[in-house]
This record gives sequence, structure tokens and C-alpha cells, in this order.
Amino acid sequence: MYKRDINIRTINLGRNSEKQKIIMFLKDHDLLFEEDIDYTIGVYQEDSLIGTGSLSGNVLKCIAVNGEFQGEGIFNKIISQLINTQYQRGNMHLFVFTGPENKKFFEDTGFREISSVDDKVSLLENDPKGIEKYVENLKRSKKEGAIISSIVMNCNPFTLGHQYLIEKAAKSSDIVHIFLVWEDRSLFPNDIRLKLLREGTSHLDNVIIHKGENYIISNSTFPSYFLKEENTVVKTHATLDIKLFVEYICPVLGINKRFVGREPNDPVTNEYNKAIMKLLPIYNIQVEEIPRLTVGEGVISATKVRKSIKEGNMESLKQLVPMTTYKYIVSDDAKPVIDKIRKDM
Amino acid sequence: MVKLRRTMMYVTGNNPANIMDAHLYGSDSIMFDLEDSVSIKEKDAARFLVYNALTTMDYGDTETVVRINGLDTPFGRDDLEAMVRAQPNVIRLPKTETPEDVLEVERIIQEIEEKVGIEVGTTKMMAAIEGPLGAMNAYEIAKSSKRLIGIAIGAEDFVTSIKTTRSSEGIEILAARSQIVLAARAAGIYALDTVFSDINDDEGFINETKLIKQLGFDGKSVIHPRQVSLAHEVYTPTDKEIKNALRVLDAIEEAERSGSGVIALDGKMIDGPIVDRAYRVLELAKATGVYREEDQNE
Amino acid sequence: MELKKIGIAGTVESSDISIIIEPTDKGGIEISLQSAVMKQFGRQIKEVIEETMKSKGVKNATVRAVDKGAVDFVIKSRTLTALYRSADIDEYKWGE
Repeated sequence: MYKRDINIRTINLGRNSEKQKIIMFLKDHDLLFEEDIDYTIGVYQEDSLIGTGSLSGNVLKCIAVNGEFQGEGIFNKIISQLINTQYQRGNMHLFVFTGPENKKFFEDTGFREISSVDDKVSLLENDPKGIEKYVENLKRSKKEGAIISSIVMNCNPFTLGHQYLIEKAAKSSDIVHIFLVWEDRSLFPNDIRLKLLREGTSHLDNVIIHKGENYIISNSTFPSYFLKEENTVVKTHATLDIKLFVEYICPVLGINKRFVGREPNDPVTNEYNKAIMKLLPIYNIQVEEIPRLTVGEGVISATKVRKSIKEGNMESLKQLVPMTTYKYIVSDDAKPVIDKIRKDM
Repeated sequence: MVKLRRTMMYVTGNNPANIMDAHLYGSDSIMFDLEDSVSIKEKDAARFLVYNALTTMDYGDTETVVRINGLDTPFGRDDLEAMVRAQPNVIRLPKTETPEDVLEVERIIQEIEEKVGIEVGTTKMMAAIEGPLGAMNAYEIAKSSKRLIGIAIGAEDFVTSIKTTRSSEGIEILAARSQIVLAARAAGIYALDTVFSDINDDEGFINETKLIKQLGFDGKSVIHPRQVSLAHEVYTPTDKEIKNALRVLDAIEEAERSGSGVIALDGKMIDGPIVDRAYRVLELAKATGVYREEDQNE
Repeated sequence: MELKKIGIAGTVESSDISIIIEPTDKGGIEISLQSAVMKQFGRQIKEVIEETMKSKGVKNATVRAVDKGAVDFVIKSRTLTALYRSADIDEYKWGE
């Protein structure tokens, strides 16, 4: 009961010597310290590190306990500390990505598996009705039709390319459900991306827009999308993301088709698209890949839009985005975002 | 009967496992901490937990103490509201600097006692002295309230505020310890020593306990069950001390029987402090099982 | 007591219980409990949570609890803490 010589310390990630020790410890436990981590704790017995755990947004990750100390409540101590930190930050809805060997520990502390891939990774959440609630909400916008299609997009920001893809889909479908990636990691904030998507599709009356929230290409279902990690990891994460889509989202909306925009540049998106084209037909969901809209020499992309903004090239910008997006970019409201793009890129 | 306070075990106020079995390790007192060991965000949780523990659990003969947060924090007043109602044996004030600190808490305790219908004066207090100003005011503090059962030294903050660090010999807090023992004795209350933080260093702990016992302290604060028996061992009287005490008791009985107003042993007169010590030695002996009342009749 | 936001208290350490209270408009008090001693004590744990909530006049809420072998007074304490946090109240009524 009294393990007073065991204490938990917050790791100062800015201090390389401390961070390196955690990285080494994780390596010994076959884990990679992921670069999106924003909070790490170490558990010490006297001065030796015997366990660690980290947070990234609303996700718990990189949790490991020295084998000698397993079964002594250290794991639960780490989880408790991580969960409490999340609550103090205002994150109530939490996710864990974990290998099958640790799944049971998380289930013992109140997490529940929502999906898994080939015994490689499991995704768990701490709300026993989390995904059901999301799905319940979606159900309200269910519309009948022969072809119910779907698109998942980030729109950072909304371009003529996005508009073209949606128009194509809208023309050949009864209903198009658009899921906007809902993770504040893009240069354009969530609400702006949503606003521009809405404005750019307001002329299409069979388009329904949803926030992807935690369950479509989010930090929780698809961390490597944001980490731009190596191939096998991306493939696993992409598969998990697609499984969630097929298992939970398609049935409630009656989705039987998915459109993807061809991705010539970004390898992660490309890998994701490949997985979609391979997996969805197995579940009787048709996939149609639409070639990118081109202007001048190349395809239109959000990357190009951001580049034009950075360079202050308004003429080129006008050729890439619809009027609605353009108006926003030149407005006073956009100033902080534009400044950030100019500085960051 | 002489109340023993050889050991007061610290228990983090927000840890259910420790709160539930704190009395099973044999310390004379247990101190539930709402102060330093509880993070700011968990003050409310610890208060509820300790309150419900005290109103539900049966801690038997173990004295219960609650260390509250200071009145200069946003938590002190709520701690008092809860704890006076929960009625531990003693409420411990942290960082006491002046007699006014004690009186201020006493005033609030009385107000709550009156409000909820507890007999005024029921709630006892203990003051922890953790800085040089408190040490200088030790006697004034010790005699400031009838509710005070003892004063304690808290060394961790103390050494920092006198610009030094703790050593194994404890030379840096010798003056403060002496001051506190003197003040407690002058006021007729208990003197309680600070914690020894290295729970793996038994030898260091025993040496420090021997030192403070020799200085005159009634007991020591402990942070781990294993320190309890170590401290009790140090406080266990020797056979010789026990025999002496028994002879004193015989002399008292003899004096009573003969109706003599004077107690004498081996031709020497015995007065108050020696009688008190004899009782205390026998209590200490009984507590550690080295002496049982029936042994006397053999 | 009027619940305003999600209130959380406790931990998943041994002898403790983690309680998450979420306000709802209707549907009564709905408790989902996870416990290693579900068979023997599941009902009792839920009862303590529910009674504690009712004693504070709470009629509707969803509660998620993960029990690690907590005894009644610990369950009660954690529920109360979560309730006060959920109601955003720091004026306590002791002894009621």
C-alpha cells in the first residue's frame, strides 16, 4: 500500500536530457516517442525511471512500465495521472491507441475498444457511448436515395478543386455526405474551414456537411496522418479509420459510395486512398477516384493556395479558390491566419 | 492514564487505500493531510474523502489528526467547516507563526461548534511551527489556547527559511527543536518532532529518534509504516527504567496506606515530575508489550 | 443542485473509484459501472452513487464509474466531489 518511494514527475520536454531518457526507455519497450506529444510523465523509484506515459491532444500514448514493476499498480497510477491531467485541460473524451498486449489494462481502467486491425492496434475510448452518440447525431440527417455517397476532406482552405470534386459527386448521387476533418492542426482553424466549405457548396442542394469529429481522420483514429509517418504504420492507421467508417458511419446514413480526389503529391494521403480503394469494395461500398482539377500547368491543391498566400500572389490565388474563399482571405478577419501562414511555411 | 504520542503517521488525504488502513500499522496517532501532499486541484476531493472517512471509519484507539490548509489559502476555512463537524481528535494548523494564528483558528472552530451544537472546546488543536518567527514565538504559541494538546516542528520548510538544508546530524534545527521542547514543557503540552524523509535509511531514522527523545520530545512524525515500530523501539523503556518506575509506584501506595503526605523512596523524597515520569514509563512499557499490569503481581 | 458541466473525480488506483457525471435533461440517473467485483457489489455500488446524487436533489444525469475496489465512503466521497464539480459550486453544505 505504501509506496512512497515511488513518485511521478512531469518531464520537461524542452530539456533534451530528460526527453532522451524517456525516448530510450520507450525504445527498450519497443515504442517510439512520437513528435506530437505535448505532455509526458515519468514514474521513478528513487531516481531510476520505471514507467512513463504521454499525451497528445485527447489521446493517451507511449505508455510503458518496466517489467519488474508490472502488476504493482504503476500502470494504473500512470493512467490516473494522465486522465486527471486531461480533465484539468478540459479534455473529457479520451482515446488510446494501443497494441493488443496492453488492451486489457486500458479496459480495466474504463476504456472500451471501438475498433481494431489484425491484432496490431486497437482504438479505445473512455466514453462507453462515445461513437454511438456521434452516430446517433448523424442519423438525424439521414436522407433516402439510390446513390448515397460520401467524401472526406480537410479543406485547408476550400479550393476550386474541392468544389469541383463535390460538384462531380453531387451530379451523380442522390445525396452527398461530406465529412470535414475536425482536428485543429491545420493552418486554417476548424470553424473557418467549415464556413468556407459551407459557402462554397451552398449552391448544391443535395450536399450535407458533417464534422468528422473524433472518428474520421482525427488525431485519435489516424495519428500518422498528422505525423506523416512511415508506410506500414500509415497502412494500419488508414485501415482502422476505414473500418470505423464502414462499421459505424456508413450503416446509419446508408452510404454506398465514396469519392476520393486523386493524390499525386502527398504520400500519406496517397496511401490512404489506396487503402480505401482496396477495402471499401469488400464492404459493398463503391469507390470513385476523381482526377484533380488543373489550372495552367498543374493540379489545384490547398498547398498551392497557401503558397500563393505566403508569396502574396493574389492573381494566382484567384485562379485556385472560389470567390467565397477569396473574399475571406482578403478580409480583415483572415489577418491572423494569413500572418501565421506567412510566418510558418 | 498518560496519552502516548510516540508516532504520528502522515496519510495523504486523497488516497483511499492509505486512509482506509492507516490505523492498522500501530502508530499512536494518524494525521490525514489536506495540505502539502494534496494538489491544489484535488483539495475538494481530499476534504470529502477525509470527512467521510472520519464519520464512517472506526479508527479504534488511534488518535486522529487532520492537518488543514492555512487560513491564508482559499481552502483553510472550508477545511475547518468540514473537519470540526467530522470531529477528528485533533486539528493541526500548518505554518504557525504567532499566537494570533492559533486564536484566529480557535475563533472559527468555536463559531462552528456553536453553530452545529458541539460542546465548545471539544475540538483540540495542534500547532506546527515551520519557520523562525514561529520558533521565536514558540512559548506564546504553546500557551495561547486551552485547546492545544501540543506543538510540532516542521523541519522541511524551516531549514529553507533559515537558509540551510537538512543534515543527518540535524545540527541546523537543534536550536528550534530545543526552543519547541522548552515551550511545550513550560506550557504543559506535548512536543512533537518532524519527519525523517528517507524511508530506506533505518539507521538514520533510529539515530534521529534517539536524539529527539533525548532532547525531550514526546514523539516523532512518521511517513511510512516501517518507521512506526522503529520509533516505538527507541521509546521503549529499559528493564531498569521499568523497575524504577514500579518502585516509585510502590512508594506511592505505601504513602497512601500509611496516610503520609510525603512519598519517600530509599530515604529520598519523591515529587511531582518523578511520579509523572514513572507513570509515563509504565505507559510506554505497556504500549510496546514489555510490561503487563499483571506482571506486577507475580 | 443543478448540474452544469461534466464533473469528474477519483482515480483508477487500488481502493478508489473514478466517477464521471454528465448532466442530462431527462431519463433519470443512468449509471454505467465497470468493476472487478461487479457480481458481488455491482448493485450496492450503484445504489451508493444514486443515493448520494438524490441526496443532493439530482434527478437526471448519466454516470460512468470505474471501480477499483472502493468502499462505500470512498464511493460517496468521489460522487460528491464529482457532483460539486459538475454543478460548479464551491460552497459546501457539511453535515447534511
